[in-house]
Amino acid sequence: MAQQTSETFEQNARQALTDTQLRGALRNLADTFGDRRRLALKTVDNWEALRERGRAIKAETLAHLDKYLESFANNAESAGAKLHWARDAAEARAIVIGLLREKNAQLVVKSKSMTTEELHLNEALETVGFFPVETDLGEWIIQLAHETPSHIVVPAIHKSKKQIAQLFSAKLGIAPTDDVDVLTGTARSVLRERFAGADVGISGVNFGVAETGTILILENEGNVRLTTSLPRTHIAIMGIEKVIPRLVDLDVFLKLLPRSGTGQQLTAYQSLITGTKRSMDDEGPEELHVVILDNGRSRMLSHPVTRQSLACIRCGACLNACPVYQQIGGHAYGSVYPGPIGAIITPQLNGIEKARQLPFASSLCGACREVCPVKIDIPELLLHLRAEIKEGTASGTAGEHGPVKRKLIERLAFRLYAFAWSSQWRYELGMKLARVAQRALSHQGRIGKMGRLLSVLAPPLAAWTDWRDAPTVANRSFRDEWRQHLSIRK
Amino acid sequence: MEKADRIHSGSRQAIMTAIREQLASSEPFNSVHEENRARHEAVGLSGKLPVEQSTSLLERFQQSLNAVGGHCTVVRSEAEATETVRQIVAQSKTRRVAISDSPLVGRVLLPLTADVDLMKGSTKADLFTCDMGVTGAQWAIAETGTLALESDVERHRLASLVPPVHVTIIEAQRIRQTLGEVLLAIDEKGRDLSRTITFITGPSRTSDIELTLAIGVHGPAELHVIVLEETKG
Repeated sequence: MAQQTSETFEQNARQALTDTQLRGALRNLADTFGDRRRLALKTVDNWEALRERGRAIKAETLAHLDKYLESFANNAESAGAKLHWARDAAEARAIVIGLLREKNAQLVVKSKSMTTEELHLNEALETVGFFPVETDLGEWIIQLAHETPSHIVVPAIHKSKKQIAQLFSAKLGIAPTDDVDVLTGTARSVLRERFAGADVGISGVNFGVAETGTILILENEGNVRLTTSLPRTHIAIMGIEKVIPRLVDLDVFLKLLPRSGTGQQLTAYQSLITGTKRSMDDEGPEELHVVILDNGRSRMLSHPVTRQSLACIRCGACLNACPVYQQIGGHAYGSVYPGPIGAIITPQLNGIEKARQLPFASSLCGACREVCPVKIDIPELLLHLRAEIKEGTASGTAGEHGPVKRKLIERLAFRLYAFAWSSQWRYELGMKLARVAQRALSHQGRIGKMGRLLSVLAPPLAAWTDWRDAPTVANRSFRDEWRQHLSIRK
Repeated sequence: MEKADRIHSGSRQAIMTAIREQLASSEPFNSVHEENRARHEAVGLSGKLPVEQSTSLLERFQQSLNAVGGHCTVVRSEAEATETVRQIVAQSKTRRVAISDSPLVGRVLLPLTADVDLMKGSTKADLFTCDMGVTGAQWAIAETGTLALESDVERHRLASLVPPVHVTIIEAQRIRQTLGEVLLAIDEKGRDLSRTITFITGPSRTSDIELTLAIGVHGPAELHVIVLEETKG
């Protein structure tokens, strides 16, 4: 599979639209997770009030992030955790590599973490001779296939069980099967051996509790528990925005996150980890290292609109609800974080020039805002970023040929339009001409595929006509009808 | 190492400074945005739940646990609990059992020494050879069928995780209605939280292949909860 990037979004999307297997999988995702979520919302008293509490807690935390992050760091340290601070991805990777070397790590197991995907941690570790084993089933599948996640909750959603069976049979030598239980059992038995021998476990963090220094990780499979319990060293990577003030705030987020993500009341397991073990005969790792990552996040604090991006709890509900994601899937975005949330955080994390197309990959329908458990106004953010991009183009900071050229043609087209529409006789003449011209193109009252001819005559129109039918101009105009009506009544 | 520490503390300083500066530059926009948000805020309320039925905490816990694929047995005495474990041992053809250091678990399992190998305080390697783990739990949540395990109270972190069958014995008075109540109870300990608190809701599960539910991917495939209604010392 060719590497897709955010810069090639349009081509990626076009390619994805022709992939019928992918589109079937996406339909299954939207239907299944959509239904499960709707059912799960009925199990709380007042969902809207809960969302509002979630939003308010996040807004309060982010507005005073310095205070809460300090408090988290100090409490985690006094509970025995060792804290590391990474301004960017390179620093974070260096910290992890340093720790693995210091521990002389032989076998590293990993649980699913979007933040480590953002760091491209596995690639970096592999280049220096560490080969971390992904242990979440979905992540393990895509690691075996040398692919990237296409969804932040179910990373292998783009693969069919047939493809997974073929993969397992090629890589692990099992007999071909389409029995999901057999595939899952294979993963269990292969990964058990890895867990038994692992000396370092790497995980992400869902929430960091400021008042106790606790990190919390949610999951369903048990691989997070194994990753954070069996090895002697646990390294947790945590974005600065994961902090929440109080332990009891978890009541709100543990209601919001599983219902929004997988439609569960609670995921099977939550691990709340506070520092290191108290005595030698206690269970669990001897060392806990928490790597706190900025990597472009603090920049988002500089405006209340962009700051909302940091409230995200990575549930994936906006992906499942998005009509664009539902058609093209995650890889087309060419970024670690796909879907509506990806369209707003990728340009902010990677720089707007590397993801200029993403804020436009939305119809602004607002479905994402409606399902977001912490009420992030994603459409507002998309418009904010679009404005930044357009302003950049106008001031000449982004001198790409594409947009500038299109702008000239656009300007000409709108001039012509204004010229024709600003006088009655020119407008009526135009309509008459259109009626004659469309005879060759219209079919059952619509200008359909024949409209492609239009795009041959005027290539910029292709962006519109390639995917849409246009209605034809009516045989009689409203004005004609009106005039006739008046004359009859007289 | 000293040098490395200095670099890291430099990064800590840099990140905290960046956060403060960016928040300060946001100041002029904050009130405008707050006004806009308030204007656009749609007020929508979801439907109320039906009024809480008169089910007891125990009944509600049983229902919730069944709904997530766990098994619940209510017993009146420790002897009955022993019999229940004996049945689960027979069904799962268990030969080796990892047990936690809970006195209750010890008393319930003691009569089974003739039937199975009991492993207490087992090493990592031993745990992988066990067919079943038996532990207590510090709390249960009726609303969701959840167990809460606090590692400072009992050594149950691995016995509840590694073997394919997990059996928990819990006294009925440890059941609370909501997650919020349990969080408050844990919170009362202040800064002295257990090293690890684990919430367990049903057996290990995954939907990573075509969203098809599969049970027992990494953690236990079976979860049995034995609720002891009357404790006899």
